[in-house]
Amino acid sequence: MRGWLLADQITPEPTRVANGWVMRRDGVLEVDPELMRTYVRQQDMPRWDFERIVTARQDYLQSMETHMADRVLSGAEILQQVTREAADADR
Amino acid sequence: MATALRSIPDAALGELRSICGEAFVLTDRSARFNRARVSTAFPVHRWADFVPDVVVLPATAAEVSDIVRLANAWSLPVVPRAGGTGISDGARPLRGGILVDIKRMDQILEVDLANRTATVQPGVNMRVLTDYLRPFGLIYPDQPGSYSQSLIGGRIGTNGWSMVGGRYGHPRDLVVSFEMVLPTGDIVRVGDGGGKSIRKSSSGYQLKHLFMGHQGTLGIATEATVEVVTRPECELPAYFAVEDWMAGYRVLGTIAHEGVATLSRVFLYDGWRLEYPLSEPLDFISPGQAVPCVGFALHGIEEEVRGAGKRLMRVLSQAGGRYLGDEVSRFEWASRYDRYIQPLHLGRARDGQVIPMYGHAQDAAIPYSELPTVRQKYEQIVRSLSERHEVFLFEETAVHPNGAFRAGGDYNMELRVGIWEQRLNDESWAAWVKAKRDLAIVAIEHGGSISNGHGTVCDGEVDVLPLELGHAFEVMKKIKRTLDPNNVMNPGKMGLDAAYESEFRDDDT
Repeated sequence: MRGWLLADQITPEPTRVANGWVMRRDGVLEVDPELMRTYVRQQDMPRWDFERIVTARQDYLQSMETHMADRVLSGAEILQQVTREAADADR
Repeated sequence: MATALRSIPDAALGELRSICGEAFVLTDRSARFNRARVSTAFPVHRWADFVPDVVVLPATAAEVSDIVRLANAWSLPVVPRAGGTGISDGARPLRGGILVDIKRMDQILEVDLANRTATVQPGVNMRVLTDYLRPFGLIYPDQPGSYSQSLIGGRIGTNGWSMVGGRYGHPRDLVVSFEMVLPTGDIVRVGDGGGKSIRKSSSGYQLKHLFMGHQGTLGIATEATVEVVTRPECELPAYFAVEDWMAGYRVLGTIAHEGVATLSRVFLYDGWRLEYPLSEPLDFISPGQAVPCVGFALHGIEEEVRGAGKRLMRVLSQAGGRYLGDEVSRFEWASRYDRYIQPLHLGRARDGQVIPMYGHAQDAAIPYSELPTVRQKYEQIVRSLSERHEVFLFEETAVHPNGAFRAGGDYNMELRVGIWEQRLNDESWAAWVKAKRDLAIVAIEHGGSISNGHGTVCDGEVDVLPLELGHAFEVMKKIKRTLDPNNVMNPGKMGLDAAYESEFRDDDT
C-alpha cells in the first residue's frame, strides 16, 4: 500500500490545450476552471482523488467493453487491411 | 410548498398497508417528492403540482391487482413507475393519487435454455439480466440510453427503442409475452397467441401490441417473458469524421443498404456538441475534431464481423471519412450509456460560464428522404427558442435507423436540447411547450411520428397526437374507456380524458 505523500495532496497543475479546455493528465479533458466561476464552482481536488476518479472511469469503460461481447476488434487493423487490399488492386 | 395528502382517506391508506405491508406504503415528503418527476424536461418551479399522495411498493401481481381494485373502489388515480428514466411523462402524476413503484418486483424467475427465454418481474434491469445470463453464454439485447438504470416494466410501458435494435430488435420484438394487471384489477397474459414463449401466432387479436407502450393508462405489467440470444464473440465499433452533415447523411444511407446482418447500430452526429464537453459520449474526441461523425457497431461471430467491418470501412473511406482511431471508437462506444450516469450537462450561459443543464432528447421517427429538411427546421425552432430564453441551448442532432433487424427506411431523428431547469419559470416553460408542439407538427408534416421510443405524453406533443393518429385516436379513446371504465389508470395522460366526456360517450352509443 502506498503511504502518505505530500504530492498526492496537491491538485495537479492544468495545461491549457484549447479554448475552454485544460488537461491535468494525458487524455483527460476538463473544462477550463475560468469558465466555472459564476454558476458552478470547480473544486480543488487532491491528486489521489483525481486519480481515483479517472481510474474508476477507466475501469467502468473496460467493463463495458466486455459486457455485451467477449472481445473488441481493432478497427485500425481492419482499415489497414482494406487500404492494403485497395493498393494491391491498383497495382 | 404544499405537501399534505390531497385525496387519500385514512381508511384507504389502511387498506394499502394491509395489501403491501406497513413498510411499503410511504407517505413521507422525500418518498413522494422524489417520485414526482422522471428524466424528461420538468417544470421545477411547479414541482409540488406533480407529487403523488402515497407511494406503494408491491412485490407480486396479486398485490398490484388488489391496489388497482382499491383505487377503483375509492376513485383514486394510479400511476405506475419503473426506473423513472423515461424521456416522456408517463410516470409523472398529474392528479396525485397512488404511485405504484415496481422496484421491489425485481426477481429473475426463470431462464429457459431450451426455448431461449427468460421470465422476469418488471423491476428487473436489462444490464443486470445480461450479467446474470453471462454464464449461460447469453445476453438480453435491449439497450436504451438508460440501459443501466431503466427497468423492463418501463420498457414495456414506453414501447422503447434500443440502440442495438438494428440487429436484435426493440422491446416490442424482444418481449415475447407479458402479464398485465388491467385497470379493473383483472390479470391477463398478452403475447402472440397463448403460449408465453411463442414468438409468432395467428390466434386471435395480437394484444401484446395494444399494451406495448401503454404509458400506465391501460394497467401495470407485472411479469415478462423475454427473448435471450447468444452472446456475441466480438464487437467492432468504428467512428469516422466526415466532411459535413450531408456527406454523413449520404453515407448513412449507403451503409444502411449494404445488407450487413451484423450491423447493430449506425449513426450520424452533427458535431455541434463538440464545441465544448458535455459529460457525454464523444467527449473522447479532442477539441479541434468538432466535425460531423458517422459511426457503426457490429456484433456477432468473428468471421462475420471482420468481413462486414472491412466492407463498411471501405464504404466510409471511399466517402471521404477519416477514421478517428481505436481509442476514440472503443471508448466512445463503451460510454454510450453515460447520459444517465452523469445527470447534469455542462451547458454554457451567454457569458460563457458553465451552467448545469438537463440534457433533453427529442426523438421523432422520420423517413430517410425527409431528414435534411426536418433537421433544418428542428434546428431553427430550438435556436430561436434559445435566442429568446437563455435557459435553453441547442446541443446537437443525432440520427439512427429506427426499425428492427435491419437499417434503412425511417430514422430516429434525435434533437438534443440543454435546459437550465433551476431557472425555468411560467414564461420559459410555456415557450418550451410551444417548441415541443412545433417540433411535433414538423415531424407529422413530413410523414413522420412524434416519438420513436420515448412516448407522446409530454406537454405540447400530447396536443397533436390526434393529428398524427387521425381517426385511430377515436379508437384509442374507446379502448381506454372500455378497459378503464372509472379512468383510474394514469388519468389525464395522452389526451385520453376526452374518452370520458359526455359528448364522446353520446357519439358512441
